Amino acid sequence: MLLQVKNLRCGYGSLEAVRRASLHVCAGEVVGLLGANGAGKSSLLRSIIGLLPPWQGEILIQGRDVCGQPAWRSISHSTVLVPEGKMIFADMTVRENLLLGGYHNPDRALQMEIVLERFPRLRERLRQLGGTLSGGEQQMLALGRALMARPSLLLLDEPSMGLAPKLVEELFAEIVRMKDLGLTVLLVEQNATATLRIADRAYVMEAGEIILEGEAADLLHNPEVRRAYLGNGRKDEG
Amino acid sequence: MSTFDRRYELMPRAQLEQLQLERLQALLARLRRNVRRYREKLGEVRLDSLGDLAALPFTDPEEVAASFPYGLFAFPLREVIRLHSTLGPEGRPLVIGHTRNDLAQWGRLVARQLAASGVTANDVVLICLGGAIHPGASGYVLGAEFIEACVIAEDALHIDYELAMLQTYRPTVLITSPSNALTLIDTLEKRRLDPQSLHLRAVLLSRPVDQEFRAQLAAGLFAAVQCNFGISEILDPGLCVECEAGQLHVHEDQFFPEICEDELILTTLGREAMPLLRYRTRVAAELRRGKCPCGRTGAMLRTGARLDRRFRVKETCFYSAQIAGILAQTRAAGHRFLIEDSEQYLRLAIEISKDLFAGTLSGAEDPKRDIESELSAHLGIEADVRFVESLPHDQIGVTSPHSTFDASDTLPRVV
Repeated sequence: MLLQVKNLRCGYGSLEAVRRASLHVCAGEVVGLLGANGAGKSSLLRSIIGLLPPWQGEILIQGRDVCGQPAWRSISHSTVLVPEGKMIFADMTVRENLLLGGYHNPDRALQMEIVLERFPRLRERLRQLGGTLSGGEQQMLALGRALMARPSLLLLDEPSMGLAPKLVEELFAEIVRMKDLGLTVLLVEQNATATLRIADRAYVMEAGEIILEGEAADLLHNPEVRRAYLGNGRKDEG
Repeated sequence: MSTFDRRYELMPRAQLEQLQLERLQALLARLRRNVRRYREKLGEVRLDSLGDLAALPFTDPEEVAASFPYGLFAFPLREVIRLHSTLGPEGRPLVIGHTRNDLAQWGRLVARQLAASGVTANDVVLICLGGAIHPGASGYVLGAEFIEACVIAEDALHIDYELAMLQTYRPTVLITSPSNALTLIDTLEKRRLDPQSLHLRAVLLSRPVDQEFRAQLAAGLFAAVQCNFGISEILDPGLCVECEAGQLHVHEDQFFPEICEDELILTTLGREAMPLLRYRTRVAAELRRGKCPCGRTGAMLRTGARLDRRFRVKETCFYSAQIAGILAQTRAAGHRFLIEDSEQYLRLAIEISKDLFAGTLSGAEDPKRDIESELSAHLGIEADVRFVESLPHDQIGVTSPHSTFDASDTLPRVV
C-alpha cells in the first residue's frame, strides 16, 4: 500500500469535516474519491498532504507515518497535490511555474524536457504568463508543475472543475497515460462517470463519511451512486 | 495453483485488514442510512478497528425472519433484480435479494471455487442439484459463465436422464449433491458401467462430506472431489473456496468471519441489496488464520454441526417445528415425538396414547401410513414412523438434545 489512511478525523474549528475515514491506495492504482460538495473530500486530501492538521487517525505513506507533518515535508515522500482551482502563479511565466514545481529536484532541466514532451502546448507558451493561459492550459500547467517534482503519489483535487467537456476528456486521457507510466493517483472528483471510467477503484463520501468502496466498474452500476451522482435510476442507462 | 482473482485471494493480510476496516465502516454508514432496523439498533456507534466489531449487536436468523420479506433490504425493491428464498428458523421462510452488482459479485466468487477445482474455459459443466428449485444452481451458472466454461443449465430430474446427459454431452465437471453423487455411483454399478467411460475430471459437492465418503465418491466416479460450504442466508455457493490443500478459505474481502461461543458469525462486506451485520449462522465452526500452502490469505474454516434444531434428510433441510406443524394436522396432534435419525430417511418415534388409535380398529385407517404420507407430501422426504409407549425423559440415545417436542405447541405454519 502506497497510501494508507485509518480513522482520519479532521475539520475546521468545531466543525468535523471528515468523520473516521479509512482508505488506501496501492502503487500503480488510480483511485477515485467521489462525493457531493461539502462531503469532506478536499479536507481529506488536505489532511493527507499536511495542509489541514488531523484531529485523530493514522496516515501512512509507503509505510511511514506522516500524520500531522507540515505540507512542505510531503515532497520528501514523493507526494504532490494539484489543488482545486489549479492555483498556478498567474504573474509568473509557464517556465517559471514549472521550475518552481521542480525546485528541490537537481535534475529539473531534464524533468522539464520530459514534462514539455508530454504537454507540447506548454512548450509553445513557455514565456507566456500563467494568468494568460486558457482554463484547459492552466490545468495542464498545474499537472505539469506537479510532475516536475517526480512524484510517486499524485493527489488531484477536482481537476475537471470549470473545464469544457472536451477538455475534461483530454485531461482524463492524460491521467490514464500517467497511470500507464506507473504513477499512482488519488483523484477527488464530482464528475462520477468520467472518474469511474478511468479509475481502478473508488470511494464515495457523504457527510464526512465513506459510505462505499469498490471496484470502479461495480460502482458505475451501484443504485446509490447512480441515483446520487449519475442522475438516473435503474432503467435508463447513463 | 489456479486462482481466479489473485488480487483478492492472495491479498497480504495487512492490506486485507485495511480493506475490511474500510468496508466495515462504509457498511455501518450504509446500514444506518438505508435500513431502519439497523439504524435503530446501531445508533451513533462507530468502528475504529476490526476488534471493535465484537461490541456491535448480532443479527439473529429470527430477526431476519421477523423482517420477512423485505424489511432488511437496503434498497427499494425496484433496484433488486433477483429474489431467492431460503429456509429460516423453525421453517419460516427468508428472502434474500440481489442487485445487479450482487449477482456479478456472486458469479466472481463462485468462479474462484471453480478455478480452484481446475475448471477452465475448455470444460463442460453439468449442474445436478436436484431440481431447478435449488437456488445455489444459479450461483454455479453465474460462476461457470465467468470462467467461460460451457454450462449445461438444465437439471436432470431423474437419474436415468442424468446418466444420459453424462454420456451424451460428455461434461468434464459435475456439480452435484453428495446424495445425488451416491445415487449416480449406485446406478453405474447396477448398469455395470465403468465410471471411466464418463469423461468426468472433477466433481464439486454442494456441501462438505467426511474424508471417507469423499474418497468413496472419488473412486466411484473416477474424478477429483471437492466440497463447497455455504450459508444460504449469506451466500451458498460463493462463501468460501476449498483449495488444493483441502482448506476452506473464507472470501474475506467480501465476508468478515468471527467465532462467538463456537458459532460462526458472518458480516457481509460488499453486499448491496441485503447487507447483514454479524449474522449468527447457527453453525459451529473453527477459524484459523495462518499460512496455507496454496497462498490464499483468507481465514481457514472448519465447520461443525448445526446449533439449532435443523435436520437434514438427504439434501432436504427441515426444522422440528415443521414436523410438529405437520403432525398437528394428523391424529398425532398433541403427542410427543422424537426425531431419531435423519440421514437417508426420517425416522420418527411418536409416543402413543389411548386416543391415537381410537376408531382405527376396523383397519380402514392406518395412522402410521397417514402420518408418513403427510410428511412426504409436505417436506418431500421419506419417513418411517414408529409408535412407542413412552419417550425417554433423560434424552438417552437422542440425536439432538433438543429433539423431543410436543406436537401440541405448534409453532408457525409449515410452508
